Amino acid sequence: MSNPLTTSVFARIARRLSYRLNRDRIERAMDDEMRHHVDCEIAERVANGVSEDEARRSALRDFGGIERHKEDGRDARGMRPFDDFARDVRYSLRVLGKNRGFASAVVLTFALGIGCSCAIFSLVNGILLRPLPYSHPDELVALWERNVVRGVDRNVVSEANFAAWRTRSRSFTAMAALTPIPVTLDGSPVERISAAQVSPSYFKLLGAHPAIGRDFTVDDEANGGTNVAILSDALWRSRFGADSSIIGRSISMDGQSFTVIGVMPASFQPPSYGWMTEHPMWLPFGANDRKHDWGRFLHVIARRRPGVSIEQARAELAGISDGLAREVVADKGWSTSVIPLSEQIVGDVRTPLVVVFAAVLLLLVMSVVNVANLIVAFTRRRQHELALRRAIGASWGRLLRQQLVLSGTLGVIGASVGLGIAAASTRILVTLMPPDVPRVAGAQVDSRVLAFGLAVAFASTILFGCASALRGFGPQAKTLDLVAANRATPRLSGAGLIATEVAIGLVLSVIASLMIRSLVKLRSVDIGFETTSVIAGRVSLPTSKYQSVEQGRAFFNELLLKIRASPGVESASIATTRPFACCAPSTTVSDAARPSTKLADAPTTDVRFVDDAYFATLRIPVLSGATFSAIESPDGPARVVISRSFAKAMWNGENPIGRTVAIKLFGTTKAVVIGVVGDIHLADARTPPRPTVFLSTVRFPSTERDIIVRGSGDAGPLLAALRQALASVDPTIPLFRQTSLESAVATTFARDRLTTILLSAFATLSLLLAAVGVYGVLSADVSRRRREIGIRIALGARASSVPNMVLRRALKPAAIGIAVGLAVALLLARFMSALVYGVGVNDPASFVAVTVVLLAVAVVAAIIPAIRATRVSPLEAIRAE
Amino acid sequence: MADPNVELLQGTLDLLILKALSLGPLHGWAIAKRIQQMSREVLTVNQGSLYPALYRLVERGLISSEPGVSPEGRKITLYKQTAAGKRQLADRIESWEAFAAAMRNVIRYV
Repeated sequence: MSNPLTTSVFARIARRLSYRLNRDRIERAMDDEMRHHVDCEIAERVANGVSEDEARRSALRDFGGIERHKEDGRDARGMRPFDDFARDVRYSLRVLGKNRGFASAVVLTFALGIGCSCAIFSLVNGILLRPLPYSHPDELVALWERNVVRGVDRNVVSEANFAAWRTRSRSFTAMAALTPIPVTLDGSPVERISAAQVSPSYFKLLGAHPAIGRDFTVDDEANGGTNVAILSDALWRSRFGADSSIIGRSISMDGQSFTVIGVMPASFQPPSYGWMTEHPMWLPFGANDRKHDWGRFLHVIARRRPGVSIEQARAELAGISDGLAREVVADKGWSTSVIPLSEQIVGDVRTPLVVVFAAVLLLLVMSVVNVANLIVAFTRRRQHELALRRAIGASWGRLLRQQLVLSGTLGVIGASVGLGIAAASTRILVTLMPPDVPRVAGAQVDSRVLAFGLAVAFASTILFGCASALRGFGPQAKTLDLVAANRATPRLSGAGLIATEVAIGLVLSVIASLMIRSLVKLRSVDIGFETTSVIAGRVSLPTSKYQSVEQGRAFFNELLLKIRASPGVESASIATTRPFACCAPSTTVSDAARPSTKLADAPTTDVRFVDDAYFATLRIPVLSGATFSAIESPDGPARVVISRSFAKAMWNGENPIGRTVAIKLFGTTKAVVIGVVGDIHLADARTPPRPTVFLSTVRFPSTERDIIVRGSGDAGPLLAALRQALASVDPTIPLFRQTSLESAVATTFARDRLTTILLSAFATLSLLLAAVGVYGVLSADVSRRRREIGIRIALGARASSVPNMVLRRALKPAAIGIAVGLAVALLLARFMSALVYGVGVNDPASFVAVTVVLLAVAVVAAIIPAIRATRVSPLEAIRAE
Repeated sequence: MADPNVELLQGTLDLLILKALSLGPLHGWAIAKRIQQMSREVLTVNQGSLYPALYRLVERGLISSEPGVSPEGRKITLYKQTAAGKRQLADRIESWEAFAAAMRNVIRYV
């Protein structure tokens, strides 16, 4: 007979909850009811002529135990599950309190897995998963010029092309250009900032607008531009003290007066990519313009029209650029790239982040497997107690429920500790992040990360709850038969565990090893110049004060004189950009004797402007000919020093000295080659050096220069000496972008270094977990087979055969684990090819070394159980127990 | 423990209680007495199973319980049939009659 549900499930649950809450009242009501029943019985019996005492006795006897009925009543009300649950939790806590070693091992291992994976997930979430903070961010794209032949995929855009795209294309609702522009904020203190020149539609395109004041309008850009500026919240607070009357105020920049028209809100996060990395202030185009002869220099952002896919936009722009290439000679060979803005901003951190996340997930799997094993072993040790409880009437269901509650309690404690670890380590990771990692500020343990952590914790807890219930209740829990306690239970799970842990340990160690080797290779790259004891700083001369070229030249000459005279300074030079700094020009350079635009004859070349002391200060080797002399001519034919790769590309082997080259800069500049120097890395260690030509700063003066100083001693005193020399020449000019070349170079490794550190940490933890796991399995094995070992020894087995047996037990599954791990590692390493440098993803040295390490770990983990096995006395064999 | 005899008894007791309450609300002891009386003193309810059965029926919404006062002024709990209970009673009586008819046929089979 089935009993249909006549009330909904929710009504029943609600009722049961109310029973729990109104417990006392219900208990009392039940008590009253039953006593009333007994009293009625007594009254009836008395009415039938039985004496009161007899009536009471017989009524109570017939009714049966009140407590028992109450218990059945509680059961019928469905209050048992809640009571049982509370009791199970209390019991679990007691058991854990008595086995603190086991409890801490489990909690620590689980917390480690959850903590690490949540911390990395908060990075993944903050950087990759979170949508950009603009309206309809998926419609935003970055537009670039592309030259397939020259191998540039994302090149900055020319003014003419930007205008042409804007007028000719239909795929975009808005398009804005931006470029960095250094400005000096006059006053005290004098501050040099990298502002951004932007189209008037820039903020509207992103869906942002100033918190106070107004946005740019088209009028601000027209007629050569107006001197207005919009400040960032940070600059408004730091320099202008959050002055509420800032709107309409005049500020002096580079000797000119600008009016502040707006301040952006603190929550505004402009897109940072390419050369646009700082955003303290925005200016319209046209204002404070320098003569841009640099051809292509603009960043372009656009918003796709809703309904236009990115493929359609690409196709349309390709058509437009084809048209432009036909119309304009300078655009021949140039096409376009359309990149979604999110991809543009986070694109190159995606691979390392994903690799690190995959690694930490593997670590999580290991920790869960270890925890499951620990709990199973613990349950097995308590067989006796379980059998006892079974004997006095506990049902299987009850024991199972208790086991699940025990696992659940461990899971909850472990997860809480783990989430705490995650929160703390996320904060630490964020501070350790190199400055070029985008969107780091948003990486925190937010609701999504919490949901991830809880989901993982929940799933793992269920997993090891079931595992412990299924595998922990061995046959000996069924009876109190202690002889049976020594019977061997199936070995597969232990071997499986060893194989899994060794496999995961191997994969993580291979990944870490590849990163370590590639980092070592990266750092040992010869960047072409020496960085020890070299510092650099930048100065910019205000054109209001230094109007003529002579004044500028005199300034730099005096500065060099002063700094060279400072104590501890070996040499000093000026250059328009030091190596490993951003934003320097490149163009095509060809042989003047055979002008051509073909790539082979006119390679894309980096152009740098340097003085006579540059190569000596940086210790760049001079391979042939000479470099600039101290008395270069300010007019007349230009002279050029070329790099080795340029000489090779142009004249492969023939003597380049005396030849003339045509540099597409300032129109076309012809220059005579006077010397060849070694190649230097101008951007980072990874990018191979491009052909480079060096022109003289005397011949091509500029008001903004890097000062590079080599000295004996540390960077600090050298920078101080430079500042002092500068102050003695002109105290109103600040030194900015001060750095030692060593740290400038080191910053380019920062991201690789952090990735390597994280992966190595995970690999080390995995080796530790693997060792613990293997030790646990072998140790339990030895304990279980004491009798068998005792028999073997009693029957005269060789002294070495017993530890050999243990070792074999470890090494056979370890070998399988290594084989599986190698296969998986070979597969996964392929995804890392973008990260590794100088080593193949199948680097045999790494694979072999890691295999040896894993074998060693398995052997070391087996040592103690092996020793314990030899100590088993043969008396174990003949004991009745 | 799924003891078939206990199951059968539970269902039978439910039917008896529902029938007893179909004539008006009663408290626990009175229900036992009413069943005894309706069965012409043949059936006596096992005290131990009465209250669990009552609570189960409340749980399933077939009867409702509310506090009341006895004629002597004692606090008691009165049980009342609900609409769902009335429907259940009809169903169960139908099943029981069918069951009894089947049993009769089996017993009288020659």
